[in-house]
Amino acid sequence: MQAQATQIVHAYKQAPWRVQRQYVGAFLLFVIAASMIAALYLSVTAQAAVTGREIQELRVEITGIQRANADLETQLADLTSTAVMEQRALQLGYRPVKPGELEYLAVPGFVAPEPGILLEAQDVPEFEQIIPAEYTQSLLEWLDERIRLGGGQ
Amino acid sequence: MRQQYAVRSLFLVFCFALVGLGILAQMIRIQNSEQASIFLSQGDLYAGAFSTFYPERGEIYDRNGYLLAGNRTVYEVGVSLADVRDAESVAYILGTYLGLTYEETLNKITDSPKAWQYVVIQDYVDAGVVAALQQLIQQMKDVDDNRLSGIAFKPHYQRSYPENSLASNVLGFVTRDGRGYFGIEEKYNDLLAGNPVQVWVPNDPNKATEIPRVPNGTTLVLTINRDLQARVEAILDDALVEYGAGNGAIVVMNPKNGEILAMATTPRMDLNNYSAYFSLYNDGSQYNPSIGTAYEPGSVMKILTMAAALDAGAVTPQTTYVDTGSIQVGGITIRNWNRDAWGQQDMTGCLQHSLNVCMAWISTQMGPQAFYGYMERFGLGHRTGVDLADEAMGRLKTPGDSDWYNVDLGTNAFGQGVTVTPLQMLMAASAFANDGKMVTPHILYSMLRDGHQYNVPSQYGGSPISAQTAQTLNDMLANSLEAEASGALLPGYRLAGKTGTAQIPTEYGYDPSSTNVSFIGWGPVDDPQFMIYVWLQQPTSSIWSSDTAAPTFAKVAEQTVILLDLPPDNVRLTLSSR
Repeated sequence: MQAQATQIVHAYKQAPWRVQRQYVGAFLLFVIAASMIAALYLSVTAQAAVTGREIQELRVEITGIQRANADLETQLADLTSTAVMEQRALQLGYRPVKPGELEYLAVPGFVAPEPGILLEAQDVPEFEQIIPAEYTQSLLEWLDERIRLGGGQ
Repeated sequence: MRQQYAVRSLFLVFCFALVGLGILAQMIRIQNSEQASIFLSQGDLYAGAFSTFYPERGEIYDRNGYLLAGNRTVYEVGVSLADVRDAESVAYILGTYLGLTYEETLNKITDSPKAWQYVVIQDYVDAGVVAALQQLIQQMKDVDDNRLSGIAFKPHYQRSYPENSLASNVLGFVTRDGRGYFGIEEKYNDLLAGNPVQVWVPNDPNKATEIPRVPNGTTLVLTINRDLQARVEAILDDALVEYGAGNGAIVVMNPKNGEILAMATTPRMDLNNYSAYFSLYNDGSQYNPSIGTAYEPGSVMKILTMAAALDAGAVTPQTTYVDTGSIQVGGITIRNWNRDAWGQQDMTGCLQHSLNVCMAWISTQMGPQAFYGYMERFGLGHRTGVDLADEAMGRLKTPGDSDWYNVDLGTNAFGQGVTVTPLQMLMAASAFANDGKMVTPHILYSMLRDGHQYNVPSQYGGSPISAQTAQTLNDMLANSLEAEASGALLPGYRLAGKTGTAQIPTEYGYDPSSTNVSFIGWGPVDDPQFMIYVWLQQPTSSIWSSDTAAPTFAKVAEQTVILLDLPPDNVRLTLSSR
């Protein structure tokens, strides 16, 4: 038994290239793994950077659109102000109506309109989730989430 | 040989390890040195900045959705000093486009402190000017001419009033610091302005943080009817010219719910040029006299006196009084407006002929306790609670006050010696048009925030008289108006109302030459939909309300029935009977 063990040890020692190959293999494995992680990390951070920049640009765009909306609304109000509308009506040949010139008709079921909701009603959360989690979590947080989800989505 | 290589290798390994360790040690030393925290804090300065996100100020609409106050984009034009290539060119162009002198602009750029990165040349620059500037800069860039580099534009909002001076007394205005003054803009400043949010915004896009949504300020919808407001303002302006009056106020209110449909006063200012305020008004009370200026209203007060007497049972419509032309109250002789004796009159006649003597007799019959009790229940001497800034309280002297005299019981009955605002009179008189219940005037119809609408409910301000008294007084006033063939009548509509001509108190007693004329009226009498108060200050064509305020009331009533789609009484009754 002892002899057999000695023989195996000798046989092992007799092939030093095996030892070297194991070291090289292990080293290469480490290098490949590190490279993969680094590449993954770089990819994620690059995407996050690009998306972050896009978000900044979108914010600027949103602000610009909101300003344009406000401007257009004010311009519309300018164009339909009482003074402008009255002037346009007079130019078109209209004149103010007198009480005796009005004719009232009974419309069955008609209910005089009351001021209603002027703006579209929609539920808006107090704080909107603007940036998806993919762009805010770290690599470790992402890995942790994957592990907790068991690899599935 | 191999051993020699091994020694060399070991030596190299040792050297590299030593260098590595040295680098590591140095890194640790630097990281933990005293200077490290300074470097870190300096680095943080450039890592981002606190940005304050200001919400867009809420808009203001009339009841039909017409914009009365909105926002438009203006620009701050500045120069990024580090990017300037040719200061003279920048100064020349900015000076030309912004209306500044070349020297002034150049000095701002070249004489600014060295630590400054950016200097503001002009703020609140119109978008059109900025667009022209941007176009010029772009054209020069296209031909690789960078002499205008460094010019920067920062957009922001400025309050804008599309209707200019329309309802300026109601709306108020917003100064450049974003604060509202007067009217709705001041009363609801916090709601309109919203809540600014300050957030740390990193420059590193990897650290893009979530910025909380900044809700816009609350949008307000007013009870004002824009078209009616415009017509009433035009009628008021015409009346001032026609009757030679100094200033005036006209308010139209729905007596059923207290909604103010129109509130016109003079002078009015273009809200887009709020600096005109200082040249138009001496003090804040003049900005909206409908609520801010209390005055002795004169005979319009007689409707309150008569209502109080009817409700207290002191008189009935059939009660007669023999008018001798004068009455002694508190040792002072009170006379009628024309100093005549009108003989035997019933209570409708007292109202129809607006007899001071009769009214003074009524108040003395009631006694001070009952009379002033009713006046207080009508809200005199108290603010109405209208949702507008700077409301005046008026003054109702009562027994026990140091400046109250017995004669006040007589004079107060016909509206002298007591001060009210037009809105106080409207609130008090709303009881007549609303089965004895007063309504609190209000001008806010609803608030819109985050897509939700909150309607403002009507509020009652007490029931000073019974429904029966209100009905009786309505009939008396309508009959007296018809019997008088008043200029306030509107063909086809049965209206109730009362004139008021009041002498104006001065330091030396009442001014014999000038008056304040007023008229309060409402209709249709059987189902009141509007109540109108007219006040003209010191008319010169005639000092009497019947010649000035009453026809002005008729004009306003005419426009009101048209714009509110109120058919004549016979048509309405025919339609409703089907």
